[in-house]
Amino acid sequence: MSDKGGKGFTLPNGKGVKSTPLKDAPLKDSSAKSKKARNVQFSSQGSKSDKSAPASSKANSGKGGKGDSGIGGKKEQEPLQLKVENELPKGAKCLMDCEAADILQGIQEQMVILSKDPTIKLPVSFDRGLQYTKKSTHYTDPESVRRVLENLKTYGVTDGEICVIANVYPETADEVFALLPSLKARRIMLDDPVNDVLSELAKLKKSA
Amino acid sequence: MFFHIVLERNMQLHPRHFGRNLRENLVAKLMKDVEGTCSGQHGFVVAITGIENIGKGLIRDGTGFVSFPVKYQCVVFRPFKGEILEAVVTMVNKMGFFAEAGPVQIFVSNHLIPDDMEFQSGDMPNYTTSDGSVKIQKDSEVRLKIIGTRVDATEIFCIGTIKDDFLGVINDPASV
Repeated sequence: MSDKGGKGFTLPNGKGVKSTPLKDAPLKDSSAKSKKARNVQFSSQGSKSDKSAPASSKANSGKGGKGDSGIGGKKEQEPLQLKVENELPKGAKCLMDCEAADILQGIQEQMVILSKDPTIKLPVSFDRGLQYTKKSTHYTDPESVRRVLENLKTYGVTDGEICVIANVYPETADEVFALLPSLKARRIMLDDPVNDVLSELAKLKKSA
Repeated sequence: MFFHIVLERNMQLHPRHFGRNLRENLVAKLMKDVEGTCSGQHGFVVAITGIENIGKGLIRDGTGFVSFPVKYQCVVFRPFKGEILEAVVTMVNKMGFFAEAGPVQIFVSNHLIPDDMEFQSGDMPNYTTSDGSVKIQKDSEVRLKIIGTRVDATEIFCIGTIKDDFLGVINDPASV
């Protein structure tokens, strides 16, 4: 019994074996409590596997389901929304890449003066950050870009979303709403302002 | 994305730094300690832009060190879930590709690359569409969406996807 019980734990081998404890359990009611307990345990597992084909398919579908929910579940769940304000301390100011480029460039120029002191070195993340901002600057004047995008704030667009729009430089309103699903819900209200903003940004774009 | 925030830190200063250059020494120590570090809450501290306030120093019992509360402004870079950014591909393999955006590393798994793109091994491993029109290889620029972040002691690592609309290659280095 114990051997059978032991075998009963292994799913693939236990299909045939597990059925016997179940069949045995109702017949041998007078068996010791421990055996009953074992049987109860096995029967709870046995019941799962006694529906042998469905159980194995359940197991497979469980694994498959997990795999699916990893990818398919994302389709069923709400699309990922950008929620910057919740996670950062209050008073944090979102910077567009072009604004950050100006600041970091200024700091680097200062460092050239200070570099006489060998102990002061700029960290690797600074260089990488500066290179990244330089690569992604599309605009001639960050201040005008900020002014243009500030108009969207009156429609309830958050700072984080405004910065993403500026950094990505979308060409159409469809692109904006596809990349920022949080704005989709208010598309009717935002369609015109977004189109206006995009045409203004196009004027401010650096000629390549 | 980048942020400009005010952070506070208690700086411990050894008595040998006291004197007329106390403030400069404190600021230099702050820059050495903080610039280049990263944390889960505010991401990478890319650069300190200014000192807002240095509080009164408190002598620590038992040692001669003095603790100064310093409030400073800094530029931080922190990736967010749901954020769209443009990254440069650094490595391609059959599991996916690695890309870099500023100080942050991003991995895009092959499950999150569109199904019509297949891995091609060789001298320059890449992902290419069946008609060869779009290629992702080292130094390609791609627009991706961050779907997960993990913070280490010294760096932030992200998972991204290019499977959604308007994501994917921006600039093919071969055509440049």
